Amino acid sequence: MRELGGLFIYAAAIALALYTLSRRDATFRAGVRRALEQSLTLLPRMIFALVAAGFIVRLIPTEIIVSYLGSEAGFKGILIGSLTGLIVPSGPAVAFAIAAAFALEGASVPALVAFLTGWSVFAAHRVIIFEIPLLGAHFLRLRMLSVMPLPIIAGTMALLVTGF
Amino acid sequence: MTDDQQPGRWPELLRKSFGRSFWVFVVVALAAGALCYFVLGAEVFAAGLARDRALLADFLPRVAAAQVVAGFVWVLIPRDRLSEFMQHGRGGRGLVLATAAGAITPGGPASAFPFLAILAGSGADRGILVAYITSWALLGIQRIIVWDIPLMGIDFSMFRLMIGAPLPIIAGLMARRIRIDLVLESTPPPDSRR
Repeated sequence: MRELGGLFIYAAAIALALYTLSRRDATFRAGVRRALEQSLTLLPRMIFALVAAGFIVRLIPTEIIVSYLGSEAGFKGILIGSLTGLIVPSGPAVAFAIAAAFALEGASVPALVAFLTGWSVFAAHRVIIFEIPLLGAHFLRLRMLSVMPLPIIAGTMALLVTGF
Repeated sequence: MTDDQQPGRWPELLRKSFGRSFWVFVVVALAAGALCYFVLGAEVFAAGLARDRALLADFLPRVAAAQVVAGFVWVLIPRDRLSEFMQHGRGGRGLVLATAAGAITPGGPASAFPFLAILAGSGADRGILVAYITSWALLGIQRIIVWDIPLMGIDFSMFRLMIGAPLPIIAGLMARRIRIDLVLESTPPPDSRR
């Protein structure tokens, strides 16, 4: 599964490079430039985020994670996953590193779906940095009420699809 | 994230990439490592370190390739046309369009939230606003390419995408049902090109 994901990414990178080159305009250069800029800003933080997540997962007792998020946890795993997602106030580097570590420790797919959905829709840092300044507290309240059930819905749907 | 394409920005980028948040990650990593060493012992620390190394060796090449894909996607998608595209639908169709637009909006929150503010300023209804930003957060293709596929694997990512696809529409419908007053900070930021 991992190998296929890797192959897909490499194939997509090569296909897009060939396509933008074939356009014979500035697209290829602009794309490469954007990729370099983004890598430069992301990779240093990402490396340490992964290292931190690796140790943090060691510090949280494995059995507790597995018992809360593992496949035998069922609906409780979805609830705990959703709540854990709410309290990760950081960008995708940490959130996905934690999710990957949970997955390696044996968290169930529905719990992981609930965790990532909860983090995606609530992510507190984004709310503070962007949402309140740009849209205001009224919009935040409306959005929070609207997305509240989504992690549970997503986890439950994942549970139904993956079969009990 | 970085939204401008002006030349000569490398020193600024370097300052940004090794800025405060970088050092926060370094400190957290060191603190977690130290805690691991002193609380759980040298063996667990060594095992953690070995796993960290394996994770990095495993992830970094894929993350680098993902950055290349995201860079090309970012330059290929016409961001100014997205806004036009969103004005075409009201009702259920509007929610579907908002979901599609959210999924393909490239860039981090620094592009999505200003865009949301522009939409709000141009009179899009609350359902569309909530559906758009929920879709960007949940289904954003850039995030899936850069983080989801390299770290979680393609099977899991596609599964989560499938499960998540109807959720922005559900959120938009909920937003239309919720009867609270919506007073917006509707002045778009100065650099609201996208």
